[in-house]
Amino acid sequence: MLKEMEVISASMERAVFNIFPAYCKGCGLCTEKCPNNTLKWSDKLGAYGTPTVIPRDEDSCIACMICAMVCPDCAIVIERKKRTK
Amino acid sequence: MAIAPATPKSWYLPTKPHKFCPGCGHGIVLKALGENIDELGIQNDIIFGCDIGCSLLAWDFFACDSTQTHHGRVTPVMVGLKRSRPELLTVGYMGDGGGYSIGSQHLLNAAVRNETITLILVNNTNYGMTGGQMSPTTLPGQVTETTPLGRDTAITGYPTKGPEFLSTLTSDGAYIARATVSKYKQLKRFMRNALRNQIEGNGFSFLEVLATCPTNWRTNAQQTWNFLEDEIEKEFRVGEMKTPFGKGDKEVAVD
Repeated sequence: MLKEMEVISASMERAVFNIFPAYCKGCGLCTEKCPNNTLKWSDKLGAYGTPTVIPRDEDSCIACMICAMVCPDCAIVIERKKRTK
Repeated sequence: MAIAPATPKSWYLPTKPHKFCPGCGHGIVLKALGENIDELGIQNDIIFGCDIGCSLLAWDFFACDSTQTHHGRVTPVMVGLKRSRPELLTVGYMGDGGGYSIGSQHLLNAAVRNETITLILVNNTNYGMTGGQMSPTTLPGQVTETTPLGRDTAITGYPTKGPEFLSTLTSDGAYIARATVSKYKQLKRFMRNALRNQIEGNGFSFLEVLATCPTNWRTNAQQTWNFLEDEIEKEFRVGEMKTPFGKGDKEVAVD
């Protein structure tokens, strides 16, 4: 059984953004691939002492999950929210 | 329940985070391979072989049988394993240095014999592990450690186009394709086809993946994507060159 890993979550309008600092190496591929420039650098440090990422606001994320797809280390998990009308 | 990272089940988690540099394309390629192993349910049947270069850092990447060979010899080792144990699936994993320069004779002859193996070649246009020297796939004009003024095609020739020459060498039943880490869904689909081709026993399967190398390109994240998408993908055409699956899967894809 693996021990539980530290996770930083940010709840946004359409998705919950989760990042695991123990896996994030701060390469920045996700921030550049994001179509809406949602991600910015955060103060929390990752695996190599490099900054991790965090969403800059609540409504620009469209839950496309490209950041999770291009992450070479599987550090990002996006949970889509159901639309409430 | 606490949320866990979305790592593929076939990854060997005690070795994570893996040893590749930040932003390295190997992680994305191996994530696609891991997810395909999970979805096809072949973790117990697979033998994963890696070659020399940065690709050898994947030796403890998967929780499945692995082997590591030197200098392009992953192709004959995979051929030998497949011939002695035909029920196993052998997946060779190498870089452009191991595959196209020092191991090209093995690659070429395995393709001519149409061996039923799967090879994945990660092309990042330089020799990553030794510090970024010129490789057979370095673009004309690209600055590397050994070509400080840019690659001069009058002296060193033009980049090797592996899938193109392999698709003319192989016979029917071969699967030859080129994918890129900037189009993840397409990469995953091509890799699934390359594995499926071996499972069905059609013949030689080869997938080249264009990958990033921010450390040796000396690029930041934005320049990394720009170099991959604007320059490398222009030089090397992405798509399926040869497929035994018929027209359904043949789309030369723009994702």
